[in-house]
Amino acid sequence: MSTQESQANQFDMTRPLPVVQPWSEAFWEGAREGKLLLQHCKSCGAMIFYPRKFCPECWSAEIGWKEASGRATIYTFSTAYDMVEPRFWTDIPYTIAYVDLKEGPRMMTRIVECAPADIKIGMEVEVVFHKLDDKFFLPYFRPVAK
Amino acid sequence: MKSGKIAIIGVGEVPTRTMPERSRWDIIYDTCMEAVRDSGLTKSDIGAVISTSPQAQPQLTAELAFGKLPEELGFENCRDTCVVNAGGAGTSNCLRLAEQYINSGVAEAVLVHHVTVHSTIAVPDLIAFFATAGVDLQWEYPFGSTYNIIMGLMANRYMHESGCTPLEMASVVTALRSWASRDPNSIFYGKAVPSPEKVLESAMLNTPLHKRESNILADGGCAMVVVSAERARKMGKPAAYKLGESVRYFSATPMMRNFEKMVYGLRDTAKEAIAEAGITKEDVNIWNVYLAYPLAHPIMAEALEIAPFGQGGKYFLDGRMSFGGDIPWSTIGEAPGRGHTGSGVSSAVYVETARQLMGRAGERQVPNCSYVYQNTSGGSGFNNIATIWGREPK
Repeated sequence: MSTQESQANQFDMTRPLPVVQPWSEAFWEGAREGKLLLQHCKSCGAMIFYPRKFCPECWSAEIGWKEASGRATIYTFSTAYDMVEPRFWTDIPYTIAYVDLKEGPRMMTRIVECAPADIKIGMEVEVVFHKLDDKFFLPYFRPVAK
Repeated sequence: MKSGKIAIIGVGEVPTRTMPERSRWDIIYDTCMEAVRDSGLTKSDIGAVISTSPQAQPQLTAELAFGKLPEELGFENCRDTCVVNAGGAGTSNCLRLAEQYINSGVAEAVLVHHVTVHSTIAVPDLIAFFATAGVDLQWEYPFGSTYNIIMGLMANRYMHESGCTPLEMASVVTALRSWASRDPNSIFYGKAVPSPEKVLESAMLNTPLHKRESNILADGGCAMVVVSAERARKMGKPAAYKLGESVRYFSATPMMRNFEKMVYGLRDTAKEAIAEAGITKEDVNIWNVYLAYPLAHPIMAEALEIAPFGQGGKYFLDGRMSFGGDIPWSTIGEAPGRGHTGSGVSSAVYVETARQLMGRAGERQVPNCSYVYQNTSGGSGFNNIATIWGREPK
């Protein structure tokens, strides 16, 4: 047994699932269908991410959903090589990023299908959904093919 | 905001080390009794006790929150006690509450303290705590984010915008360790100070953060006795007087953080605290910056307008913030030099501010220290509380 396998026996190695609120259920339903959904305030027009119970701009309850283009640019990123939770050990190296969606909001994601050394701030990326289980598909992003 | 009505008149501290042989209550006894004795008061004078929340230690948090400390130490005239939690901004809030207790007549002397013993917490529990504290469980945690990664995200963006080099970033560790090596209460006391090149030789944790740019979890504790500025002045002993304060909230979730809003907030809180103190930036003798990671220090140096934009890292590389430099900065080495005791670092930096103003900082003593800038910041940077402390009342 390797050291990592031995240590892994001490830790919870299950992949963490999103802790969902009632008003964000629709986001995850959309992700299951391959859609990146953003909340849209019908009162003030704000595009909202992450999903809220009320519009954080005007407190309106009149909130709908719009499908985003799935296109974004990398605002910043960091590639992990060590000191992550044991449950993410098998993913190393992986790159966490903040991406600015074409529609405005910024979100945390992973950058995939790209060598870490090739990832740059300002890079254009597009959403690709990563299956965690039958319920949750995380919106990851990959470079837009030139 | 109106500050300037309280003073720290006594401090107590144990060295920050890995010391599983010491229980939390063992450290509480020693630090609190030392602070009371140092203040020149007696235990009968302590009218309230406020604890900075010990993160990742739920049993101790409950014991303190439910009033065990005044009973344990025999503070027979204690009128109230509580735990305050704002993460790394906790101690600033303890001092604010102490100010409220004193100004409203609840207490004339307030004991503020903190203790953390990381070394006896089971590793899986420690990992679980630090993995989920300060990140969103729906929109950040499932992607595999960590505190280190949050700092990496911030640092990469800053380096992209400013041109700050990895060597300049690494030099922050050199500066902080130069102070810590001269602080008997720091975990790196007496240890060799790594060069920036040596820092960069250490393993990459996550870009651009190297192992030596991260923190060592440690055990420690400290305490302070706070009274009204008027009472401190009448006592006629060296003290640290609170002269000014300003605060900004940014956002809880790092993903939502507006970088400009944060930088402007760091700048504006400093200006407002300095203005309230009735001094100028040039009067500040020590910038006792607390940010928990070295990567944020060049950003702070620029936000404080000590270094021009893009030059923050260069100032560290040039040794200006190091021991012996012309800009005394984080004189216990902050969390990377002192050792990370959770929210306890925010207590330790205030104890250092008091020591410097009392003229009792030993080898680290900044000559003629009259004014200290002291900030704290909570969570993964949800706010910044800037304060100015002086050795004389307003």
